[in-house]
Amino acid sequence: MPTREAQAPSVLRPQSLEGLRARLEAIERTAGARSLAVAVYDTETGSSFRRASDRWFHAASTIKVAILLGVYAAIHRRWLLPHSRLHVRNRFTSAVDGQLFHVSAERDANPEVQAAIGKMMRISDLALHMIATSSNLATNLLLDLVGLETVQRALDELGIDGIDVRRGVEDERAFDAGINNRVTADGLVQLLRIIAEERAFSPELSRGMLDLLHAQEFRNGIPARLPNAVRVAHKTGDISTIAHDAGVVYPPGRRPYVVAILTEWPRDATRRSETIAEVSHAVFELLTGVGEAANG
Amino acid sequence: MGEAYRFPLPIVDGLRLDKALRDVLLPDRHIHDESGAMRRLPRYFFEIASWEHAMSVRLSPNFGLWEFIQTDVREAAALRAFPRYVPCAITLLALCLERFRDATGTFVHIAANGGYRSPRHAINTNATAHCWGSAANIYRIGDTYLDDREAIERYAALARQSMPGVWTRPFGAARGETDDQLHIDFGYVLSIPHDAPTEHLGFDAERRAAS
Repeated sequence: MPTREAQAPSVLRPQSLEGLRARLEAIERTAGARSLAVAVYDTETGSSFRRASDRWFHAASTIKVAILLGVYAAIHRRWLLPHSRLHVRNRFTSAVDGQLFHVSAERDANPEVQAAIGKMMRISDLALHMIATSSNLATNLLLDLVGLETVQRALDELGIDGIDVRRGVEDERAFDAGINNRVTADGLVQLLRIIAEERAFSPELSRGMLDLLHAQEFRNGIPARLPNAVRVAHKTGDISTIAHDAGVVYPPGRRPYVVAILTEWPRDATRRSETIAEVSHAVFELLTGVGEAANG
Repeated sequence: MGEAYRFPLPIVDGLRLDKALRDVLLPDRHIHDESGAMRRLPRYFFEIASWEHAMSVRLSPNFGLWEFIQTDVREAAALRAFPRYVPCAITLLALCLERFRDATGTFVHIAANGGYRSPRHAINTNATAHCWGSAANIYRIGDTYLDDREAIERYAALARQSMPGVWTRPFGAARGETDDQLHIDFGYVLSIPHDAPTEHLGFDAERRAAS
């Protein structure tokens, strides 16, 4: 159920928003999703749309955008340089009790970081792997380096709520203890909007983060059913019952819009990515008026 | 006969370095080890002018100086620029590792942060022999990654056999144990080569320099 009413943007007719809401209800019902939350902010018109956008979800890998912000906060404060080098070591302490844990090589999408164990990698390369291929090892290394406090402080200083960073990834003991990173669709849209509007520390650093988000290799969510000419800077998140995608969409000839699509599913669900792509398509149609958004 | 061989690294007295460097190298100062015992840090260091220089200097037939100074962003800022400094005991460590390499019959890879680390390196919690240049962390031998009990214990045994008196950190996930590399360690070795500067500052000046 939506927990917050949609706000009609000035350039969008109320019936259009009602139409989108009805369409999302139908998509959620047909796909069998347990929950579907959507938040949109259009930088062209200043209008927004919200559906269950203040509902908290397990963040899955979308939390990596917040950790990226923390890394860039450390760069902004000159604690780090993008080319600073970090020892790649697969050994982390649980947020529960300090017990050691390791990131499973089988579950990490990126073999390049795993192959660098024992050596050093640049902060900029680790950040790229954390975002573009969602490397869990790179994520934990960067979070270990800058610290939870730096990430949360960066979020607080930029006035972003709806993102709760509590630990690294693959911390199974913390998961079992209910200590999880959480996000709302509103929180992710706030964060991505600040980056897209180049207000995250400096225009240069904001563009640096956007470049990494543009390098995303998992493209079966938000971009999947948009025309090829549409660029998308985004981050996916996918675990057992969770599938998310949040990003900045750049349709040709207009300013971008920011969208977060968060979903929760039964364990055996099969249409997770397709559903996110369908929601993204519906939002694109509403904001651009382009009826057929299939690739081509 | 040609000219006598001259080791290509100058030796410096740490107490005569700039304060910014003394503050991170802590020459001749005492720090606690894990058991609470006080240990005196090295006073004499080799000075390394540049990364190219480090790449060019062999400490033993199979170990280059550069392998012992690969520290990451958590090293003190003053030691992430050149000239850099490494305790004189590093040459002894390299010779011992050469013997270990002979025993393994293959390449021995020293991990990042696994050679010399200053006392101000952020990953140090207490005095570690890495601050004396007398310890090495080895993450890979030949094609074998040392990330399980079997590999670590097998090579630890070989290390103790080939380098009498060496200490190896036990396998495990608890504090003081290792499960992703082999730590070998000759303890708190102070090396004062014959070429070390003999001109001392005198007790009062040394005390001022150390403060």
